[in-house]
Parts: sequence; C-alpha cells; structure tokens
Amino acid sequence: MDPINPWLDPVEVRRMAERLLKPVADPVRSVVDAGFDEGFVGFDAGAPPVRAQATQVIPARIVPPHPEPPPLPPREPVAAEDVPHPAPVAVETAPVPVVEAPEEKSSTTARGPFLDRIHRFRDWMRHHFAATGIFILDREGAVIFDESSHGRLHFLARSLAMASRRPGATAGNVHVKIGAGATLEVIPVETPYGCLVLGAVVPESLQPAAVAAVMEALGQVAAPQA
Amino acid sequence: MISIAVSSQKGGVGKTTVSINLAHAFARAGVRTLLVDADPQGSVGLSLTRQSRLLAGFYDYLADPGLPLDRLIVPTRLETFSLVASGQASDYEAGGAGMGAHLARVRAFLRSVSARGFDLCLIDTAAGLFGVTGDVIASSDAIMIPQQAEPLGIRSVPKLLEGLNRLRVMNPRLSVLGVCLTMVQHDLAESTEAAAALRQLLPPDMVFQTQIPRDGLFIRASARGLPVGVLEDGAGAQVVFDSLRAEIESKLEPADHRHGYPG
Repeated sequence: MDPINPWLDPVEVRRMAERLLKPVADPVRSVVDAGFDEGFVGFDAGAPPVRAQATQVIPARIVPPHPEPPPLPPREPVAAEDVPHPAPVAVETAPVPVVEAPEEKSSTTARGPFLDRIHRFRDWMRHHFAATGIFILDREGAVIFDESSHGRLHFLARSLAMASRRPGATAGNVHVKIGAGATLEVIPVETPYGCLVLGAVVPESLQPAAVAAVMEALGQVAAPQA
Repeated sequence: MISIAVSSQKGGVGKTTVSINLAHAFARAGVRTLLVDADPQGSVGLSLTRQSRLLAGFYDYLADPGLPLDRLIVPTRLETFSLVASGQASDYEAGGAGMGAHLARVRAFLRSVSARGFDLCLIDTAAGLFGVTGDVIASSDAIMIPQQAEPLGIRSVPKLLEGLNRLRVMNPRLSVLGVCLTMVQHDLAESTEAAAALRQLLPPDMVFQTQIPRDGLFIRASARGLPVGVLEDGAGAQVVFDSLRAEIESKLEPADHRHGYPG
C-alpha cells in the first residue's frame, strides 16, 4: 500500500507549494491605505523591516484626564442589552467587510441607540482629532464597528494591543506611524463587557489627556450611565 | 542581514540539529552568525551550553522591553558564531499568547541583531506555525523546513503548506527556501520511499538536494555540547552541512542585492 498518496491530494499540495515559490506582489493599496509607507509593519512588502526607519511603536503611559479635554459626546440612557455581541469575525489580513452593527441584533430598536452612540462618537473623534478609519474590535478581535474597511489595520491594532498588555496592569494605548501624516492610534478600553480595542488613523499621536478622554468616551458608548 | 527561521509543523524532526550545525557551517565560512533558540524547550542551549538554564534569552527579550540584546549574546570559541538562549521567561511563555502578540518585539529583536553587525540570524523555533513561532516566521526573511523522512511526516506536508501560505499573507517577502529531509535512513525502505515521495510531491525547488542522514554522530555531538563538525570524526557530517549552506546561499542570491547579505 502506498504510505503517502492515499493521505493527501497531490494536486492540491503541488498547487500550494508552487504558490509559495512565487513572489508575492505588493498588496493592493485601497484608498484607505493611500499614503501608508513601507514602515507600516502590518504588511511590510518591499523593504525589509530590519531597515525600515519610519516604524515607531511607542507605548505611551496613560495619565488621568486633562482638566480640559474635548467635551464628550452627549450621554443617553440605554438598556444594557443593546451593548453589542457581534457575530464572530475571523481576524485575517484580508479585507473585512464593513460591519456597522452586530449581526446577532435583528431588532432595529435594539441596534439604533448603540449605532447612534457610535456615530456620535465617530463624529466627535473626527471633529476633535481629525480621526479617520475608525474601527472598534471586541475582546475576541471581532469587528464591532468599522469605517476603515481594512482588515490589516484590525490585525495590526489587535497585535499592538496584545503586545502592550502587561500582567496586572491596565492596558495602555499604542501608536504606530503608518505613513506621512498618518498614525494608527490603538486604544484598549476596559468596559463591563470586556476589553474593546479602538483603532483610529490620526495625523499625529494623541496626547495622554486626549487618550484618557477617548477612553472615557468609548466607555460611555459601551455602557452609558443613566 | 538575513534572518532565517528553521521551523516545522511537526516536532522531533531535527530542527535543533539542523540549526546548530547549519549555523556552525555558516560561521566557519566567515559569516557572522547568531543562532537564536526560540524554542521554549531550550534545545540549542541544552545542546551547547551548560549554563543555558541560567542565561537570559530570547523570551526574556520579548517579555522585557528594557533588556538590551548585548546581555543575551553568548560568544563561542568561534569568533563568528554566537548564541542567544531561549531564556528564563520561556516556561511562562510556553503556554502561548496568540499569534501576533509578540510581532513588534520579534521585529525589534531582529532590528537589534542587524544593528549589532550580524550577517545571519538563524532562529530555531518551536514546532508548529502559531504563537511566537508564527511571529518569528512573520518577521523573518526566509524559512527552511526540516522534515523527517518517514511517512507520517510527509502526510503532514499539506498542513505545513497551508500554514505557510497563511503566514505569507502577513509577511509577503518571506522566502521559502524549502524542505530539508532529515534522519534519512538508507537501510530502511520506508525512509527512502518517504524521501522519494516528498521529492515527487513537491516542486524540485522546494526540496533541498542535501539531505541529513540519521547518524549516531549527532547524538555524540549533542552529548558533548558541540556541533558535529567539531568532532574528531565529524568531517563527513560537516560536508553535509557545508553543502546545505551552499544551497541556501544559492537560493538567497537573488535577495542578496536587496538585503546586503555578504554571501
């Protein structure tokens, strides 16, 4: 009896092997990627990262909120059950479709307030920090909200958030320069429903007071106080 | 600098033996070589240094951003050959954080190795293509895969290829140097047949011509804490690893211009 071939599909094996031998073309940059340079550690095609100079992963210490942080988006009483429980979304490097609301929620009444809060939060982020490409992941890495339409950013954000975690300490924010005038700010926020990871592309890394304000705002979006 | 991960889907295929002796072959050829033990079992350290259990190493670097690379490097009698042990934090890390958790630190490590002036960083990883091993592969320039010449090992090849294709999405510049057959027993039909089946299964460029025989010399070398080529009767085995080194150099040639590898 042939000890090998009955156990595998030679044609499929050959196809996978040949794919490995072919050079991989540069990832197709979407509009959202425009301006990201080769220092972007998420998909470092081109220059080897050992030479890359632009990448800077700088863990920042979180300090108490600044006395005058930007005003938070307005609060709204909401039932606890409309906090999202998103359908599992694999964290892959392939683009992930925009998920604007948890798929499990079928009731528009239940989704509405949460989406409203998210949208107000997004507008607030845009207005005060010129943030774009905002997305929020849950503790499993599933996408809760996404306007970046770029799975690689999700993967990078989750990797950075996990890497910045220290045993027994509160998760801190991390930022990585992803291009000229573009920094991915990653802010883990502890909520009663687990750690949410906020990702946003901002022109410059946020100051500690701004980070604290964003954390507070996202905390309210997840679990608003009556 | 070139970084090469020595990885496999299965354990016990001879990764550490290949890593140690291949690193030694490069170092003998004048290539400034750093052999890194990224296997929490610490096999490289256990093979080459008696103090390995006391040394800070790769996993300590991942856990402690304040630890400089210089504190990890263990010189050997060969000026061009240095080691980094797996370290004290490895037991803790063996339980494994998820894939991507250490990506930034692994890349920082490789940048430090390059800045320290090494030409080659050879990384002996733990079995499997996930966790820290996945992060190492997703950060390396190239990967070589030791594969034991036996039927069970060959059957795991589809899973290996699937995993590598997935990792290449994360690291598109990863060059797959190929599979290196190990523990080949010419007096055992199943072993030679498995080797032949693998060569038939994969494209020729994907399988190294050099294959590593099963030989008691490797056990003796490990017992004495030496690369096999250092043994009095190790010249024959050294030729095998010199041949493997030459094959790798020829595969890396197209990349030399990109990376500045001295070859």
